[in-house]
Amino acid sequence: MMLVLDLILRLALWLLLAPLLPGLINRVKAWVAGRRGPPVLQLYYDLARLWRKGVVMSTLASPGFVAGPAVAWVALTGAALLMPLGPAGATVSFRGDVLMLIYLLALARFCTAWAAMETGSAFEGMGAAREVSYAVLAEAAIITAVLSLSVQTGSVSLVTMLAPSAGAGAVLLAAGLFTVLLAENCRVPFDDPNTHLELTMIHEVMVLDHSGPPLAVILHGASMKLLLFAVLLVQAVLPMGDMSPLAATGALAGGVLAVTVGVGLIESLIARLAFRRVPLLLTTAFLLCLFALLVAWKGNRV
Amino acid sequence: MAGPLLLLAFVALVTAILVGVRSSRWWLGLTVAGAVAGLGAALTVLLGAADWEWRSELSLGGELIHLRLDGVSALFLALLSVVGGTGAVYAQEYWSEQHYPASAPRGRAWWSGLGLCMGLVLVSSNGLHFLIAWELFTVCAYFLITLDRRRREVRAAGWLYLAASHAGTVCLFAFFSTLAARTGSWELGPMREQAGLAPLFWLALAGFGVKAGVFPLHVWLPSAHASAPSHVSAILSGVAIKLGLYGIVRFSGWLPVPAAAGWVVIGLGATSALLGIAFALAQNDFKRLLAYCSVENVGVILTGVGAALLAETNGDAAWGRLALAGALLHVWNHGAFKALLFFSAGSVLHATGTREMSKLGGLWRAMPWTAGLFALGAVAVAGLPPLNGFVSEWLVYLGLFDAVTGRGPAAWAAMPAAIMLAMTGALAMAGFAKAGAMIFLGAPRTKPAAHAHECGPVMRGPMLLLAGLCVLIGLSPVLFWPAVARAVGSWRPAWAVAEAPAPLAMLGAVHVVLAVLMVAAAVWLWRKAHALGLRRGLTWDCGYATPTARMQYTSASFAGIAGGWFRWLLQPERTLRRPRGLFPAEAIRLERVPETVLEKLLGPVSVAVMQVSAAARRLQHGRLQSYVVYVVAGLMALGVLVLLGGAP
Repeated sequence: MMLVLDLILRLALWLLLAPLLPGLINRVKAWVAGRRGPPVLQLYYDLARLWRKGVVMSTLASPGFVAGPAVAWVALTGAALLMPLGPAGATVSFRGDVLMLIYLLALARFCTAWAAMETGSAFEGMGAAREVSYAVLAEAAIITAVLSLSVQTGSVSLVTMLAPSAGAGAVLLAAGLFTVLLAENCRVPFDDPNTHLELTMIHEVMVLDHSGPPLAVILHGASMKLLLFAVLLVQAVLPMGDMSPLAATGALAGGVLAVTVGVGLIESLIARLAFRRVPLLLTTAFLLCLFALLVAWKGNRV
Repeated sequence: MAGPLLLLAFVALVTAILVGVRSSRWWLGLTVAGAVAGLGAALTVLLGAADWEWRSELSLGGELIHLRLDGVSALFLALLSVVGGTGAVYAQEYWSEQHYPASAPRGRAWWSGLGLCMGLVLVSSNGLHFLIAWELFTVCAYFLITLDRRRREVRAAGWLYLAASHAGTVCLFAFFSTLAARTGSWELGPMREQAGLAPLFWLALAGFGVKAGVFPLHVWLPSAHASAPSHVSAILSGVAIKLGLYGIVRFSGWLPVPAAAGWVVIGLGATSALLGIAFALAQNDFKRLLAYCSVENVGVILTGVGAALLAETNGDAAWGRLALAGALLHVWNHGAFKALLFFSAGSVLHATGTREMSKLGGLWRAMPWTAGLFALGAVAVAGLPPLNGFVSEWLVYLGLFDAVTGRGPAAWAAMPAAIMLAMTGALAMAGFAKAGAMIFLGAPRTKPAAHAHECGPVMRGPMLLLAGLCVLIGLSPVLFWPAVARAVGSWRPAWAVAEAPAPLAMLGAVHVVLAVLMVAAAVWLWRKAHALGLRRGLTWDCGYATPTARMQYTSASFAGIAGGWFRWLLQPERTLRRPRGLFPAEAIRLERVPETVLEKLLGPVSVAVMQVSAAARRLQHGRLQSYVVYVVAGLMALGVLVLLGGAP
């Protein structure tokens, strides 16, 4: 009974809270620019509207066009449930769950790219190609970050890996993971979620043809992915295990908020990179994580 | 129990070879019966406790016949039976009598012969017989690759395969004969206490490495897989290259290995994985893409084997078992999904007659079964949950991560290997997103693609069976654990573990939940979309009203970004004709990815060798006068040597 209750609460938290993040980022951007900006809850309204709308599907698309977003959404939700939440721990935790999390994100990416390719549109092909290519570097960075956490804690399970702080390499790790967060969630400087120039986009261009409930599912999944990365980053850096449950919850919430504001600030202050520079920045992220790994290796030997 | 079953399989396959030329129906029955019997024998050994061993009084080539089926060989025999049996059924329609009246009967006989010889390789426990069976299997595979021998590229591919295989076999001759000379007998078996045999491992690694298609030795693999009929590609990729791995696993288990073996094998494995998949991504020929992907998967398996060897030199660490179990499970997994993918590729080839992805597209409408099954195989081969590819890669990862947290010297191999595996995984995902999308999605790019047709039930059945296997291993890995653990126990008796590691059961449970939810969510969203009213419209190409098939992203453009990072390796050859004049008529941009290792490295070297040999050959021309000059010159040189050396 407790388990079911825990699961429902957790799901509710992830599903309901996630769309808040893009709203907050937009608020920060509006504040920096001195505009009023859209309401914080804008994405909720959008999702509700899309959920009621009809669907237009390309004549070329197969049922995979609709199945792709659904599978991707389940994969992202599954990944979210594997992620521990501070003192509450994770729903399911087993040795090696961190690898499952990374590969669930990869599955979500595969399904999104597949659905994008369904339409035979040049733009969407472009977006899918970019998405799967940059993922190579992003995934290398993530696995390196995970390795450094593993070395730090001597564990391969998320709950124990994320409990202590990242130690001496925390700053490096935070910088690396934050860059990966920006790339994986298609934020500036990798991608501009506001632009309407399809040529310059990654994620938005892959969903050009989607409409109605499938688009709602995609948008919701994307916001959940952002929350997931923010939670991962905060827990990797802060020593959640050493705090009292209340303090840990507060730190987690505050940390996620700080990350969100940070994304908003970066989006306001930095221009989008030229596309050929993107691999360079991602390689930098990988190197940051690699140095974090080396620091962890040299640092407190267990 | 295993003995009679193996005898049955032997008799069935020998009969199948004899009747295969005449009757396809009898051949199919006998071959499938042989496969089932072989599978039965393998399972008896894998699920039982005892190995099967048989020594006979009969001698062959002066050596007594000695057969043995233990955990390791039974694991590979099971794979051989499954792929051999399903391939036989598939070939019945794919390479049918009507389409290929000349080569179909030959193909049937060679198919059974190939299965039989590979089985003999797996059970023979005598060096001489191993070599004989190895050579026969190589030759059978050659004749299967060149079934369609009227085509020039097929003959070239077959010839390259034969030459490369024999280069490997030379190493194996050296390996087995030195082994026989050192031990005084051709008998094979565990002999780990004779430490002097350790350097022989390098010979075995080179010889079996060629067959396995480890990265720099893979030169024969892409063209052979691409040019062979698809059911042959499936067994080549699914089983034949695994026999190379079998050799490496077998003899690293039976013989002592040098201290550096683990480092070399894990290095080779990780390099093969990363570079193999980089080549795969850049291909336009989908069968070549699948072939290069085999290089990648062999790399993944060798990474696991290398980690196991490292663990052994690090005091029998527990993580070695996980990595080896992952590697051995990946042998099965790769066999299942690669055979499935080659069967689907064959079905596409059958329907459209082209292997070039840039000429396909939009096939899902004509061939929904093939498209769905290919998509399933693509998810499996990219190592994504909840299918089988993820399970084995996860075990290998877990082994590597435990090696890192163990903080021994092995961590310095495990850390780069884990990072390279992650990049490999992402590249594999990119490669198969590309392959699936270019072949099955979007609009048909050419006429043959527009007029494709679905394959018949006889081809679909084997594909469904293999897909089912992929799903089953993914959802219930615990079911397959005893067999893998048995093989690990045969490799190192000290490593025998009966119980599945606890997280494996958990992984299976999570996979089941995820799979159910994914299917449910997809169906629900599809229904929801229909309930709200689903309208079909043109692809929204940013307002462009008449999108054409030629405007779609192509295979080369899809791979352009990631392929660019490997340009140093791929060395693409470009032909560019820019539009000229006020009214340009045409512009061409062609890009071809060469077989870099073959064309840029081996090619020039062999040309140089041929030139030197040709120059040396000029000395021999049949003119007596010159020969007399050679003799005199030789004598004078000897005289000078004696004078200078001051000999008595």
